[in-house]
Amino acid sequence: MSNATKLKIGLLILALVIPALPFVSHYLLHVIILIYLYMILALGLNIIPGFNGLLDLGYVGFYGIGAYTSGLLTFHFGLSYWLIIPLAFLNGALWGVLLGAPTLRLTGDYFAIVTFGFSELVVLFLTNEIWLTRGPLGLPGIAPPSVDLSWFGGPVWEFQGELPYYYLAIVMVLATVFVMHRIQNSRLGRAWFAIRDDEVAAVSCGINLLVYKVIAFGISAAFGAMGGSFFARWVTFLSPDMFKFWESFLVLCMVVLGGMGNIWGVMVGAAVLVSLSEVLRDVLSALGMPVEIRFLAFGLIMVLMMRYRPAGLMPIPAVAAQMRVGKVKRKKVKRTATAG
Amino acid sequence: MFLQQLVNGLTIGGIYALIAVGYTMVYGVIQLINFAHGEIYMLGAFFAVTFILGMGMPFYLAFLLAMACGAICGMLLDVIAYRPLRQSPRLACLITAIGMSIFLQNLAMLIWGSRPRPFPSDTLPAWFDKTWHFSQFSLTGFHLFIFAATIIMMLGLNLTIKKTRFGKAMRAVAQNKTMAALAGINVNKVITLTFAVAGSMGAAAGLMVGAFYNSLYPTMGYLAGVKAFAAAVLGGIGSVPGAMLGGIVLGVAEAMGAGYLSSLYRDGISYGVMIIVIVFIPAGFFGVVIKETKKSI
Repeated sequence: MSNATKLKIGLLILALVIPALPFVSHYLLHVIILIYLYMILALGLNIIPGFNGLLDLGYVGFYGIGAYTSGLLTFHFGLSYWLIIPLAFLNGALWGVLLGAPTLRLTGDYFAIVTFGFSELVVLFLTNEIWLTRGPLGLPGIAPPSVDLSWFGGPVWEFQGELPYYYLAIVMVLATVFVMHRIQNSRLGRAWFAIRDDEVAAVSCGINLLVYKVIAFGISAAFGAMGGSFFARWVTFLSPDMFKFWESFLVLCMVVLGGMGNIWGVMVGAAVLVSLSEVLRDVLSALGMPVEIRFLAFGLIMVLMMRYRPAGLMPIPAVAAQMRVGKVKRKKVKRTATAG
Repeated sequence: MFLQQLVNGLTIGGIYALIAVGYTMVYGVIQLINFAHGEIYMLGAFFAVTFILGMGMPFYLAFLLAMACGAICGMLLDVIAYRPLRQSPRLACLITAIGMSIFLQNLAMLIWGSRPRPFPSDTLPAWFDKTWHFSQFSLTGFHLFIFAATIIMMLGLNLTIKKTRFGKAMRAVAQNKTMAALAGINVNKVITLTFAVAGSMGAAAGLMVGAFYNSLYPTMGYLAGVKAFAAAVLGGIGSVPGAMLGGIVLGVAEAMGAGYLSSLYRDGISYGVMIIVIVFIPAGFFGVVIKETKKSI
């Protein structure tokens, strides 16, 4: 067993026992669950820039779609969360395909802008279609998930406190990592990497660019929606302004910071940025400064990362090579005395 | 109502055009969508208010000074954030642009607070308030000022691009950076000056909007930036006359849409236009479709 695997197993065991540790407060558990949620989102987004080399600025749109799917189905029909997870997943995939099919022919810049426009339209729709989503009033009182054992004579156990969510989140993260890992090592993943590394070569190997890109986009959207579905039933309240562009940027930061294309890297990125966000929140309010400014730090971090470490903290070789392309190392030339 | 909406549309369209040419010029020379351009627009408004309130400057002086500050901000943006990434892949540049946009928005929040603030309207020239009432619509002096300022700046820009050496250098750099450098043009200087021109016009637009709608807030650049970008794409990204036309068309379309269809989706109209144009006619009115080729070596 390699060292890396030992480390991962150790971290998993640590994650499983964290709630039992004495210094772990309710708030800390909440933050760690938030980290797990963003890990799922970051893993989903990672498919697009990390595996396919495209930029998706509209990821929050799918997050919002998943959240409202989950929230509305619970609010109106009391549907069980275990049914909602696949429904949200499929809804996300559907919208991913619907958006991706006409737009993935476009070049990188235009595609990024279109995804951005889409996420803004989603927010506008959520805000304005009050008959469906209650708009700015928000969707309160979304029931927590529950495990219904009544069909074989057991109790109905509703999630209470943070603990059940904690372990559910771990399971979801593990499932996502498993899927990503398997895709990475499959024909699908290799086709994506080929597209990322060189589209022309990929086409000449017989890869249909549009089909593979649409599949990527659909899967990415599906995981975003799944994360959203968890979010809805965890915080039990939804409102359209939770799904602004800022969230897209934040998840993108996690992917870029951690190392695009690296599954473990983006998880590290998620952990780092969520922790940083919470720490800054405390520091700033202790200093008496407005708490929103912690976003300033994120903007600055992204600029500095792109300048000095564009491939991220834990880069994978292929992406690191691509991000280096074009940068010419200038050798210092000694000025010698020349005649004339 | 139609004529009133037309007046409103032309006013806001002129503003979008001013911002859009900033986007399009920068895209023309370095093929980068400067997400932070909206923030320069916002800073123009805030600087002007600071000059007027904090230093007691008269309006016209503050206007010109704000434009100068916009130019400087644009140049700083290029030198600090974009120039080091000149050779980097597009993804890195795009992310940097977004990062700078977020940074500047929050910097403004830090300096001026996030609450919307009014423009000191008592410092505006008196003739801005003069209103001419016609049967179908009304027009104020401020409308005329915006029309005049917009037209003058557009004409000035067009003249600069077509008749001056600098304009020629800009067109050369936009066409082919390497050849321009071989022809003896200082490419970096041209790019930085392009940012300066773009920044000054963006700042002027921001100042006029802030004064006209009597409301300034640190995130005002975000929405205006997106809409102006839609206008630039509509006109054909990289084409300055296209951006001007695109801005006016988008402004009028938005005013008509908000007036006749639904004012709730007012902003959605811009996003919708943008998506439709990008998906179906990426070249816009006057543009050339730029095919991105990934280098395989």
